[in-house]
Parts: sequence; structure tokens; C-alpha cells
Amino acid sequence: MKAISVHDLTKVFGSTVAVDHISFDTEEGEIFGLIGLNGAGKTTTILMLTTLLNPTSGTATVCGYDILKEKDSIRRSIGVVFEEQAVDIYLTGRQNLDFSVRMYNVPAKERRERITNALEAIGLADFADVKVKDYSGGMLRRLEIARAMLTNPKVLFLDEPTIGVDVQTRRYLWDYLRRVNKELGMTIFISTSYLEEADYLCNRVALIDEGKLIATGTPEELKASIGKNLVSIKVATGINADFVKLLQGLDYVEKIEERDGSLELSLKNGSIGIPDIVRLARRNGFTISSISSHNPSLNDVLLHYTGKKAEG
Amino acid sequence: MVSETILSAKEKKPLLEWTPIYSMWLREIIRFFNMKSRVISSIIQPFLFLGLMAIPFSNLIPPEAQGMMSQMFGGLSFFGFLAPGIVGIGLLTTGIMGGVTVIWDKEFGFLKEVMVAPVRRISLMIGRSLGGMTIAVFQALLTIGVAALFGIWYDFQIQGIAGVGLALVFIILTFATFIGAGITLGGMFEETEGFMSIVMLLQMPMLFLSGAFVPIDRLSGVPVLYQLQFINPLTYGIDGIRAALTGAPPFLPLWVDFTVILAFALVFLILGARAFNRMQLS
Repeated sequence: MKAISVHDLTKVFGSTVAVDHISFDTEEGEIFGLIGLNGAGKTTTILMLTTLLNPTSGTATVCGYDILKEKDSIRRSIGVVFEEQAVDIYLTGRQNLDFSVRMYNVPAKERRERITNALEAIGLADFADVKVKDYSGGMLRRLEIARAMLTNPKVLFLDEPTIGVDVQTRRYLWDYLRRVNKELGMTIFISTSYLEEADYLCNRVALIDEGKLIATGTPEELKASIGKNLVSIKVATGINADFVKLLQGLDYVEKIEERDGSLELSLKNGSIGIPDIVRLARRNGFTISSISSHNPSLNDVLLHYTGKKAEG
Repeated sequence: MVSETILSAKEKKPLLEWTPIYSMWLREIIRFFNMKSRVISSIIQPFLFLGLMAIPFSNLIPPEAQGMMSQMFGGLSFFGFLAPGIVGIGLLTTGIMGGVTVIWDKEFGFLKEVMVAPVRRISLMIGRSLGGMTIAVFQALLTIGVAALFGIWYDFQIQGIAGVGLALVFIILTFATFIGAGITLGGMFEETEGFMSIVMLLQMPMLFLSGAFVPIDRLSGVPVLYQLQFINPLTYGIDGIRAALTGAPPFLPLWVDFTVILAFALVFLILGARAFNRMQLS
């Protein structure tokens, strides 16, 4: 059984199509990332999968349950960490967790145990009895994750879990999620516009843009799909059509794009690319003012498929 | 769109989900006690209303006119007349303001957290209303106690435990009406500002046209105002509370007061539950 299975899921708000016929599967026990820029439709997708929003059309199952017909079965099987803060700041950390887990009819003794364990696992044990309004941003996030874990979910949903969180906490959370995924075999579904995060954490990702699913695969597959090596060239005299034609003649150049006054090349084999290109330019009287190469990242994947740059 | 009720029937849930109701209730109580300012203000408020309003007002009446005036107040002193009205006003304001917490929860995202739990929304609303009610009843009893204390000098006597018991029934129904109205209103607004301005607009006429300050029949002959009193739920609440507490004859028969306020309570609770059910995430 797939942990999550999505077919033609669509959500229309008024005249805007927030999510546009997306389909994908998430395997049990994997960390799956829904990646894309802000406003791409990630949050809307998560709200639909977590039964908080009904789709306009299409279907999806979570843990085998239908998101429309078996809402409560899904609610019993998942944990959710929302993008915006969703705790009561006038209660302490422990009170917040206690309140949450009561909703799931857990006996008192087990409730206390679970809360203590969850707080300890995420490093909040010392702040359990402090009111949440005195928490830092990172502590808030950790508390929310602890809360989502209390119900021993089969699938954990996290919407932009490390947005507005300092580098240290971010690292901590990544390690925590990896550990949980590995030790408990928990399926983790994460949405993020921070693509390094997806690259670091996710077994597979789906790239979404303007509500449409653009590409699905492992981060490595997606990166490989846009070439083994990326070279960016600036020509002193500006971009020249003859020079572009010259580059197009090279058999290891897969794709050439102009962007912000420089040429972006996808190469099959990078190691011989740069010296070769420099030689070629010099021989034909073009002056290269800068040339650099790097291995593609998910940011390049986003740029390649959508023409958009990731923020930050 | 598939409606929630059909689904819940299919997935079999108990009619009343005690634990979630209890935890929503507990949350309201803990929140109340966690905010020291709220605790202090709810204790001081009865003293302020009774001390700064009821006592000065009752001093308007010269001693030699007391007898004549008390006929107007159904045999009560002006203070004795005002005190039950102040109890009613407290129920109106805390009840309707209960709706603002719904908006806070929307703003702070807390609503999402509880809505993703496998619990019926009606349970969430019942729990929250009961929490507010507990606090409101506590405040009403405190007001009655303080009034009885001042009443030693200003002539306000409670008609025994049975009277308080009956008053409590009216207090609960009056509060249920206004918390239902508050939640209904809260469901219609996305931010506190809009909600507050409407609440102000509604509260003023309800406060002054309820028989809290001026006996209902004193307005007979004043067109519109007189009639408006009878569409105000608070009128029936206060009439009932006053008669129950003091033993003074009610303006309407007590069973009428009871039936009308019960009907109002049911209607507004149902409206509130619907508003809660419909609440969608933006």
C-alpha cells in the first residue's frame, strides 16, 4: 500500500487554480518532499491531504483512506505541523501537548508518558512548564513537531518546517526527522521552498509550480535530468549569436540558455568542457570575462523547469 | 462536497465525545487562570459595577420618596432592582466576547490544530461554551454575593437557596444565548476589529433596552423602544433572574421568561454550532 496516493487532485479558489490536476505517490517509510516557490500550491495540497480542505476535483488516499470519505480515519493516522504557528501561547508547552493528545482519547498514564518522551526527544524537557509566549521561534517549531508526534502517526506532514528558524535549530530538526524516519519507519511528507532542505532530507521530491506538478523523482534524478555539469559564461563583448552557434556545435553541450546577460550551458561531461570552451573562444576572437562550473542543485532544477529562481 | 455529518455517522463516533469536550473546557479554564489580568478584572468588575453604578444611582432617590419609588421597582429598592440587572449585563458581555476567542484561534492557527483531530466540531464548540459558562457563572455568583454584602446597607435580600438555584437556571440560559450569538458572529469575521465594532453596535441597545436599569413598563407609550425590549433576549433573562433572586413579581410570568430564553438559547447555540461547522480554512 502506498502511504499517500494522489490522482488529479485539483483545488480552485474563485478564478485561481491553486492546485491543478496533480498526481503522485508516496511510498511507505520514505521522506517525500513537495518543493516549489511560495504560492506554488504546496500548502493547499497539504491542507487537502490532511482533510482540512476539500478538493474541487480529483482524489487522494492517505494510509489507504479516502480524503473525502474517511476523514476521521486519516486524522487518526497522521500528525501535522502547520506553516503558521498553531499552539496556544497562553498555555505552557506541556499543557499544549496535553490538550492535543486528549483529543485522541489516550488514557491518562500513557498520555503523561508520551508527552514526557516527546518533549525529551526534541530537547524541550527543560522548558516544558514555561508558557509558550516566552518560547523562541525555534522552540515553538520543536513544540509543534513534538505535538504532531504525540499520536504516533503513520504519516507526518510538515509544511515549511524550518521557515524562519535559525541555522542551528534547522540542523537539529533535520537530524531529528531523519532519526524518526529511520527508527520508527515513519513516512514523512514535507513541503519546502528551501531546496537545500529537500536535497538533504528527501528520498524523493515532486516539483510543483503554479499548481502544476513539473517533475517527480529522487533529487539525484532531477539534478541529472538537467545535465551532469552546469557552466556559466560571461562574454566581455556581450552575448553574440555567432558564439552561441559555435557552442551549439559542441557535441557535449546539451542545452544553452541566456540568463541575465550570461550563457548557461548544460554539459554531458564537465571535465573537458571548460578548457575546451576557453580554447574555442580564444581561437575565434571572443573574450570570456568569467566562466564557472558547478554541479546542478535543486535550485538549478527549479530554474531549469520553471525559469524561476528560488528566493534566499 | 460531502457533508461532515454524513461521514461521522458512517465512521461511528459516540454522540457525546466526553474527553474532547472536557479538554476544550479545561483549556478555557486554564487559559483564564493563566491570564492573571483576566482573573483580577473578573473579580473586581462586580465591585466596580455595584459600587460605582448601583450605589450612586440608588442615592438619586431621596429617602422620603423611597416608598413611592419602590412601587415602581416591584417593591425593591433601586439598588435591589439594579443588582440582578448587573448580573445580566455581565452575562451579555462575557458571552458575546466569547466569540472573539474564535477569531483569535483562527488568527493564531490554533483552530487548525483542533480541526485536524478526529473529533466532531460540535464537541469542540460544546466544550468551549461550557468553559466560558463556568467562568461566567462564577462571575455571576460573585456579583450576587457582593450585591448581598452591599445589600445589608442598600436593601437587597436574596430569597433563599431555592431562589439562587432558580436564578442559576436563568443565568445559564442567558449565557448560552449570548455565547451562541458570539460564536455565530465570530465565525463571520476574520479579524478582531470588524467583530468588535459590530459587537459594540449590538451591545449598547441590548444593554439599555433590557430592563436592567429602567423597568420595562416605564417605556410603555414610547414607541419603538418599548417594543424593542421584547426582541431582546436579555430582557427575559434579567426579568427571570431578578424575580428568582428577590422574589419581586416578574414583569412577565416566569414560565414565559423561561420558555423564551430557552428558545433563544437553543436557536443561538444551533447557529453557533453551524458557524463552527462551516468554518473553512482560507
